[in-house]
Amino acid sequence: MNDSIVMAVLISAIFYGTPLLYAALGEVLAERSGVLNLGVEGMMLMGAVVGSVISSRLDAPGPIVLLVAFLAAMVAGALTALLHAFATITLRVNQTVSGLTLTILAGGAGLSSYLANVWQLKDPAAHQFQRLNIGGLKDLPIVGPLLFDQTLLTYLSWVAVAVCSWYLFKTRTGLNLRSVGESPSTADAMGLNVVRTRYIHTMIGGAMAGIGGICFSLSIVPTWVDGMTAGRGWIALALVIFGFWRPLWVMVGAYLFGALSSLSLILQARGFAVPPELLDSLPYIMTVVVLVVVSAGWSSKTLSAPDALGTAFEREAR
Amino acid sequence: MAVSMRGITKRFAGGVVANDGVDLDVAPGEVHALLGENGAGKSTLSNVLTGLYRQDEGTVSLFGKPVSFSSPKDAIAAGVAMVHQHFRLVTKFTVAENFLLGSGGSFDAKNAAERITALGKEYGLEVDPNANVWELSVGEQQRVEILKALDRRAKILILDEPTAVLTPQEADALFATMRRMTEDGRSVIFISHKLHEVMKVSDRVTTLRDGRTVGTVVTKDVTSADLARQMVGRSVVFNEDDIEDRPEVDPSRLVLDVLGLSAVGVRPQSSPKSVDLQVKAGEIVAICGVSGNGQRELAASIYGLLKRTSGTVKVNGVESKQKGPRESTALGLAFIPEDRLKTGLSASLPIKSNLALKGYRFAPMSSGPFLKHKVIKANAEEKVKRYGIKCPGIDTPTRVLSGGNVQKVLLAREIGANPHILIASTPTRGLDVGAIETVRSLLMEAARNGTGVLLITEDLDEAMALAHRLVVMFEGRIAGEFHRGDFNIEKIGLLMGGHSGEDGAA
Amino acid sequence: MIRLEPRLTRPKWLAFAVPIGSIIAAMILGALLIMVSGNDALATYGRIGERAFGDVVAWTDTIIAATPLLLTGLAAAAAFRMGLFNIGGEGQFVMGAVAAAWTGLALGPLGGWVAIPVMVLSGIAAGSIWAAIPGFFKTKFGTNEVITTLMFNYIAASFASFLIFGSESFVRELEGSGKVFPQGKVISDDVIWPAFGGGGFSVPLGFILGCIAAMALWLLYRQTRFGFEIGVVSDSPEAARYAGINVPRTGLAVMTISGGLAGLGGASNIGDIRHMLDPKGLNQSGYGYTGIVVAALARWNPIAVIPVSILLGGLANAGRSLQGEDFPAGLVGTLQGLLLFCAVSGEFLTRYRVRVAARRAKVEVKAA
Repeated sequence: MNDSIVMAVLISAIFYGTPLLYAALGEVLAERSGVLNLGVEGMMLMGAVVGSVISSRLDAPGPIVLLVAFLAAMVAGALTALLHAFATITLRVNQTVSGLTLTILAGGAGLSSYLANVWQLKDPAAHQFQRLNIGGLKDLPIVGPLLFDQTLLTYLSWVAVAVCSWYLFKTRTGLNLRSVGESPSTADAMGLNVVRTRYIHTMIGGAMAGIGGICFSLSIVPTWVDGMTAGRGWIALALVIFGFWRPLWVMVGAYLFGALSSLSLILQARGFAVPPELLDSLPYIMTVVVLVVVSAGWSSKTLSAPDALGTAFEREAR
Repeated sequence: MAVSMRGITKRFAGGVVANDGVDLDVAPGEVHALLGENGAGKSTLSNVLTGLYRQDEGTVSLFGKPVSFSSPKDAIAAGVAMVHQHFRLVTKFTVAENFLLGSGGSFDAKNAAERITALGKEYGLEVDPNANVWELSVGEQQRVEILKALDRRAKILILDEPTAVLTPQEADALFATMRRMTEDGRSVIFISHKLHEVMKVSDRVTTLRDGRTVGTVVTKDVTSADLARQMVGRSVVFNEDDIEDRPEVDPSRLVLDVLGLSAVGVRPQSSPKSVDLQVKAGEIVAICGVSGNGQRELAASIYGLLKRTSGTVKVNGVESKQKGPRESTALGLAFIPEDRLKTGLSASLPIKSNLALKGYRFAPMSSGPFLKHKVIKANAEEKVKRYGIKCPGIDTPTRVLSGGNVQKVLLAREIGANPHILIASTPTRGLDVGAIETVRSLLMEAARNGTGVLLITEDLDEAMALAHRLVVMFEGRIAGEFHRGDFNIEKIGLLMGGHSGEDGAA
Repeated sequence: MIRLEPRLTRPKWLAFAVPIGSIIAAMILGALLIMVSGNDALATYGRIGERAFGDVVAWTDTIIAATPLLLTGLAAAAAFRMGLFNIGGEGQFVMGAVAAAWTGLALGPLGGWVAIPVMVLSGIAAGSIWAAIPGFFKTKFGTNEVITTLMFNYIAASFASFLIFGSESFVRELEGSGKVFPQGKVISDDVIWPAFGGGGFSVPLGFILGCIAAMALWLLYRQTRFGFEIGVVSDSPEAARYAGINVPRTGLAVMTISGGLAGLGGASNIGDIRHMLDPKGLNQSGYGYTGIVVAALARWNPIAVIPVSILLGGLANAGRSLQGEDFPAGLVGTLQGLLLFCAVSGEFLTRYRVRVAARRAKVEVKAA
């Protein structure tokens, strides 16, 4: 039962979906404040490379190394996001252009690759996030491998989903955040600091993208490869739209796409001769379909993007 | 006095004096109306009171103590609240969530809902706390705004043109609420241009005109006609006796024939409803009315920027098939929109390009797919000279020009095409005296050449000086028509204020 | 307190100062980065300069490297100029390459005079269509073109990969070493695109076509009615509507042109450089994204794209040939990113003036 294709797909869905989930959650927060961050891909890679080097170089007990790597990845992602925030919020650079710039700068052919080279990350990461067999329950039918045999990163991601959900919809700060993204002029009139809110949440988004990065470099593909995220950052952006800016639905989407991206490997391993390239393109085709359907007006007002997403905020004259 | 404003003066860039030594006194427990046309200075004055603007001169006192606000938050803390024409609501949130956004205290949606229901019952402002704001009618949204102000224990409540978005029944309900609020000792400042409402609900009225206070009266001591006279008055810019050579109307040629035109505006009040309008060759017809009563939408739908839901438009006898601006231009309909630098012109483009904005598609400005720059340049130079457009050169970006010269570019292009009919929407708004005179004489000259001019204006003096006929628009309908020789300021003012009828109280 | 005030006029000298300033700023930042990682910045720059522009052979290699960048740069410039964020240059390039490989192989027996023009046209057509689809979604439904064009990049990459690695397609080499390692079939010699020049220096056909395209674009903007309309739409869509210009159709047309240019780049990749469909190589090269950097530095001006593409071509050329010799990979990409970052950040200086204003005195509020 636990060896069936369905199970394999579900397990992979969670495993491969975790980095998508982190990046998308972070982006949800940033976009809820009105900032579109196209630099997610670059921020994931920055987190990945920083996490990698810590894992390879830090001489300390395993858990400490992983903790430091985790924090360092967050910092790397947040700092990269700070550049984006500064450019778009203060310098009023177009958000699309700025995000793109950061992905080119930090991306697979850029800074992350440069640093990996300088730091000579050639070997598999010394410390990785392994699957934790919680309470030895991994052999329980169905729930075993799904719930009790995931990595710490996955478990934390579930916590993150719960926290983000609660934050957005059940706290005052979350309400304030949402008002900034929907109507910054109203938020400003209510005395909220729009600029500060946007800066903070953009950086949180970057930090979470960084964690998504180490999901790759310290778990899924433990040896550094330039551009190892292979466009997952972009899919995360689409996931935010797919999940209608709601953490729980984003999680569903992340696992859906996680399943799709590993489908080809699984089918091949089982002997089904489906050309892997076609299956590889499925997530991307799906993304386009979803985007077109959503923008063609199928969704209702409550499901739409934050009204002020992508726009710079200028205060009324005094 | 609850509010005492003395000598308030507020200037803006460009020499505009929005408020010039304005005084205002509001007693506790009274509904005080602030009356005036657009541009009279009502919004500016209330923005000073609510802390959005700092006055350049003058003092503000609340309950006898002088105050100085550095931001709206200070004003709110001092008990002043304003319900704006554009609501400060997050439309995707529920009513309760909007409440929580403004107020302090714990994050308790249920508690907020209870407060909303309680206040709603007490003041007749019932609204469902769990409804999404975007689903509410505009009238209900306004109730939420008022409830917010009440919840914050505002002692002075300013309502800015609140009935602009209400049906007559909702307006009556609002008036009842206003009376209820004053029973608790609150003061309500009611900003409006609608005379019958001011007469109905206010205790006292202060009228502003051109940034100055005209006077303060007790409502039951005056008539609508008195207020109309105060509101509209006479400002000295253009003396109609100065006009020689008034254009002659050619009654045989109907250059614009609009029948039964209806269109959908943002609000019911600004949606034209079955409008009939004719303009003859050489005739200047002025459409007067306070802004927001459908004039813009009428112009846009005649020109083709807004879809007509019914009615026909004929230009010089040829019917428009609603194909859009290009068809209108080809038929001989020219349009000067009120938004000059965003709609009528492309701000960053050079002057010569804007002067070619409609003609570039045809010979001689282009030949086949290619532009003929020499012709475009010559056209620009000729127009600059003929219309006296002051500019560093025809290659300069248009946005650099002063307001008057920007308007001249528009006029040069539109009049220069020798149209049958020219629609000019508030062409002199925001211009200095010299530019205003130039624009007006250009319009007159166009009429002399046989062009019919449909002039949309908020300036009655301008209308009465220039027009052969004057038509009043109110809430999307033609409310009345006057011919030259029968212009009567009081009657016109009454119709503009929605008061149909001759004299006396509403 | 520092305030940003919108500028009324844009002084002409800024048009040059910003790109040049960006280049200088990026070089300084790059130098800092190199030094921090323990290398000699000046020496590194020196080697780059030498490999890129040192001698006639270097120049030839640089022009070859510049050719795809010229075309993807023009593609990006054409679209971004109108506010259409066509990130899909990468995918449009690939589709152009696929089309050119296919037609090049199919029409090879008919000789160069037939095959080459068809390769050119098919590359343009393939790229145009690939851009027109997301363009259609954008103009019809308002679908965000950034993500759609991006996704189309990956779909194109998968498709090209499929053609070589996942199937026995027409463009795949099935004989010889092709039986062991999947690779593309090489086009025949008469179908290889000509290069022009002499004395060791030659310019590939693709570069020449690119220069012609640049001039054609420039002429389009300056001399045609359509170019005029593009100018109005970019500046003010409302004014365009007022003038009766069909805004969505203009947008779609621009996207199609943009895609066609990138597609031409892909065709040139087959005809001038690689001579076969090489999905892995295309994937790594990132021509589409670099094209955006080129276009941004050139401030979306098609003529300026030519020299900028040569500059970045030189950088890419040097990066490629220096790689391994103690020259970290990723440096080139980082420098490109820094260039782009400085270029767009500096852009705000053309729109805003920085004012330092005195703080207003705080006044107290006396409560009622």
